[in-house]
Amino acid sequence: MSKTFLNSEGYSIIKNWMASQNNEPFKFQEQTWAKYAKGYSGMVVAPTGFGKTFSVFLAVVIDYLNHPEDYKKGLKLLWVSPLRSLAKDLAKAMSAAVEDIGLDWEVAVRNGDTPQNIRRQQERMMPDILITTPETLHLLFSQKKNSRWFKTLNCVAVDEWHELLGNKRGVLVELALSRLFMLSETLKIWGVTATIGNLEEALHVLIPYPKLKTITIKAKEKKKIKVHPILPDEVEVLPWAGHLGKSMASKIIPIIYENKTTLIFTNTRGQSEIWYQTLLEEDPNLAGQIAIHHGSIDKTLRNWIEDSISEGILKAVVCTSSLDLGVDFKPVDCVIQIGSAKGIARFIQRAGRSGHSPYEISKIYMVPTHSLELVEASALKEAVKLHRVEAREPMVLTFDVMVQFLVTLAVGEVFFAEEAFQLLKSTHAFQMLTEEEFAWAIQFITQGGNTLKSYEEFHKVAKDDNGLYKVKSRRISMLHRMNIGTIVSDAMLRVKFMSGGYIGMIEEYFITKLKPGESFVLAGRVLELVKIKEMTAFVKRSPSKKAITPSWLGGRLPLTSYMSHFLRKKLSDALHPGIRERELKFLHPLISRQNEFSHIPDEDEFLVELISTKEGFHLFMYPFEGRLVHEVVSALIAYRISKIKPLTFTIAMNDYGFELMSDQEIPISEDNIKTILSKNNLMDDVIASINASEMASRKFRDIAVISGLVVQSSPGTFKNNKSLQSSSGLIFRVLEDNEPNNLLLRQAYTEVFDQQIEEARLRATFDRIHNSNLVLKKSNTFTPLSFPIKVDRLRQSVSSEKLDKRIQRMQNEILKSKHR
Amino acid sequence: MIYAEQSLKLKGEELILNNLRALFWQREQALIVSDMHIGKTAHFRKHGIPVSADVQDNDLKRLSFLLKLYKVKQLIVVGDLFHAERNSDVEKFQDWRKSHENITIVLVKGNHDKFRNELFQQLDIKVIKDHLNIHPFKFIHEPEEKDGFSISGHIHPGYVVKNKNLPRVKLPCFQVSNHNLILPAFSMFTGLNTSKGENDVSYYAFTETAFYKFI
Repeated sequence: MSKTFLNSEGYSIIKNWMASQNNEPFKFQEQTWAKYAKGYSGMVVAPTGFGKTFSVFLAVVIDYLNHPEDYKKGLKLLWVSPLRSLAKDLAKAMSAAVEDIGLDWEVAVRNGDTPQNIRRQQERMMPDILITTPETLHLLFSQKKNSRWFKTLNCVAVDEWHELLGNKRGVLVELALSRLFMLSETLKIWGVTATIGNLEEALHVLIPYPKLKTITIKAKEKKKIKVHPILPDEVEVLPWAGHLGKSMASKIIPIIYENKTTLIFTNTRGQSEIWYQTLLEEDPNLAGQIAIHHGSIDKTLRNWIEDSISEGILKAVVCTSSLDLGVDFKPVDCVIQIGSAKGIARFIQRAGRSGHSPYEISKIYMVPTHSLELVEASALKEAVKLHRVEAREPMVLTFDVMVQFLVTLAVGEVFFAEEAFQLLKSTHAFQMLTEEEFAWAIQFITQGGNTLKSYEEFHKVAKDDNGLYKVKSRRISMLHRMNIGTIVSDAMLRVKFMSGGYIGMIEEYFITKLKPGESFVLAGRVLELVKIKEMTAFVKRSPSKKAITPSWLGGRLPLTSYMSHFLRKKLSDALHPGIRERELKFLHPLISRQNEFSHIPDEDEFLVELISTKEGFHLFMYPFEGRLVHEVVSALIAYRISKIKPLTFTIAMNDYGFELMSDQEIPISEDNIKTILSKNNLMDDVIASINASEMASRKFRDIAVISGLVVQSSPGTFKNNKSLQSSSGLIFRVLEDNEPNNLLLRQAYTEVFDQQIEEARLRATFDRIHNSNLVLKKSNTFTPLSFPIKVDRLRQSVSSEKLDKRIQRMQNEILKSKHR
Repeated sequence: MIYAEQSLKLKGEELILNNLRALFWQREQALIVSDMHIGKTAHFRKHGIPVSADVQDNDLKRLSFLLKLYKVKQLIVVGDLFHAERNSDVEKFQDWRKSHENITIVLVKGNHDKFRNELFQQLDIKVIKDHLNIHPFKFIHEPEEKDGFSISGHIHPGYVVKNKNLPRVKLPCFQVSNHNLILPAFSMFTGLNTSKGENDVSYYAFTETAFYKFI
């Protein structure tokens, strides 16, 4: 660190201030301050709880104290965070610091919760520091004459960059930075992130501007995590998903009592409802001391729960990823993960929710839902030890976000085509954008489609005589502003008691399937549906104990490829567990049975099992790549086999492997197994084996909302847009029929290949299989690896039948079951 | 045009369900349709959502085909002929009307039909505010569960074919109970409502080539 910096007035003021708080800067904070003083942009990598915020925030303060002449009246630091819930606490901390130091800076928050009058006030006079979200920033861009607010800006900080990178909100940030960089000559950009697998790339995506000097500053401090797997009483050699639930509850209760506050993470909202009930049944004394928290629960109730955790009133909260991020809960000293966390980063993130202050140890218990998941516990322990975390792949060429952004500009300050093109091209997301693609987007927002004749009356954006693109209609501007952002939620209904009182939200597709009088579970309560009226489901308390727990969509997290690697490794280790691998030793009976009746695949082996039972003929394969990848691989293998012999298969899968079942013998042997699992013609066969159009139609949902093709309905609020309601599926069909070259359609297919089929990972998987020894085992009985797949109820089937044939068959089967 | 038919006897009358989303009543030489939502695509375009006008053009071509196929004298629309305001789509419909002058059109008003009577007069459409009775049927926009037998639209019925072993399929359908028949929406720019009716309902679901009955 340079002497001039260490001798600077700003530095000594801050250092003294921290000392007065009994605080001492971390090394990485000082490094950040010094680099900022030298004019660098960059990225700070540090675990949560170590004062990441103060690294960048104080860097700006010190620089201001040393060079006040470089700062103009108005906005100086823009703080962009993906989390609305953090803003208030952050503002409070920054305000306190500013006041202590004796600066007359104003710190303010602006997001969806900010009241109208405060917003207007800010627009008249921007604060010195504004804390906002990517969406609200874009909303600011949609206002008239907005650039004046950003011309004075010295620094923009992007908080929790790892949470944004890899999704479309990250693209929103990239676009915003590009625009801010154009507006303010002296702008510095700083990212703040937790550790991820591709830090170099993360920096480049955040700051792709050659004009800026960049640096990555990594904190040496590490969060200590202690992982405790919870072992069942005895090992079941034929494990069964979900089977262990109840018996494990009794082991969770003492942990809850031993600790101050425990967060219990489940993977789906449905699971959280079930576990909440189970824990209460196991120990009724917990009533009133535990709560349930997930995305469908009323926001005010959720806020209350969050406050209660902070105050230490609650003993435990059963939750989903809804509490992965957000405000730090000081009293939380224990975390329980139920079932697989599916990824290393997520597991570490969740563990870090306990023991939050810097040198405390995070404590996480892993509760398997079937005994095989203990292998996962062992894999996670190793991954945590090696500190290997997944990469977040940045998204590129997201045309939906581009279209939204262009309209935002046209609503706000209007734009010239050339300028907008340059702005897009300078971001990482759109650096490969071609002129044709850009021209398409301009055509799409100005005239709607290819053939002008078919799009009469469409004038969303108009080009004026000077070549400026703008939105004239106030109604369209208003609709667009409501639609800014990239978070698309399912169509939801409010759930209310007949007597009044709001309980939460529920997916429309679930509730519309219920008949009045039927019961379901929400927020830990059994409710009986009375009627549905105007986007609200009216309910009353149900006397019945049994009810349907909604299986919410979106709860099925994919298994990351890092996880997959560690899983395979641990399974192959399992025959000879290390001294400390308690869970692997415990599993020994299961492992040895697998070895006796079939085989335990080594790291360089790929196991295939052919099992014949009374039920039929089963083929099992174990890629260990997670359910999503297995969906594709299983369909592919079924397709390749059906070329040898036409068969209809029932398919089942879990994160470890998949099953193809048929009533006829499956023609697989040592001779053809290599061909069946070949990496040749991989993508051609995949395309032939899946219904890409159906998958793309599903992917199109988000794209349609983001690009403004579907007006999102939110209960209660946008009633006047009823005549503009349509589903994305409908728009998808209309576009396929009339505008097959629409880039948004193409994007839907691209997303299917990148995210659903995960083409890159699929290729890597088949490369790995190609280089493995294929082990084919035959058996007359289910093996420990195959059994959980067999009983997994999530089954689907493929057959090469045409739609009409398929429906006929379904019709017959329905009739058959009715006659019985 | 490819189509499929399903004959159905109701209240002693011979009816034909057509998978081009219409019902034909031989005795009256009447074609019955519902929920045409004329003007919907232009309404969307006007509000910045590009939906091609070809969608409605194709709907009208389909209607012309059906009128010719059954040598129809009378077209009964059981509501929601129009979607919203007067726009370019409505003008196109006016042109279409001129080329089908010899057909009598009767509209039983639906919740979307908010135009003034002048337009209907211009279009030579007989408008009925509440319901139309032609023995033994009562034509009314929103389905009723009353005595007698009503023919309606409004809900855009669909049927989900599912089976534990196969992916589900969602199809448009005619929904028939002891008291009513509910027509599928004629406009292709409409979604499907798959919530189930009462217990004694039959669903005549269809694909592009065939009908399937589900109980």
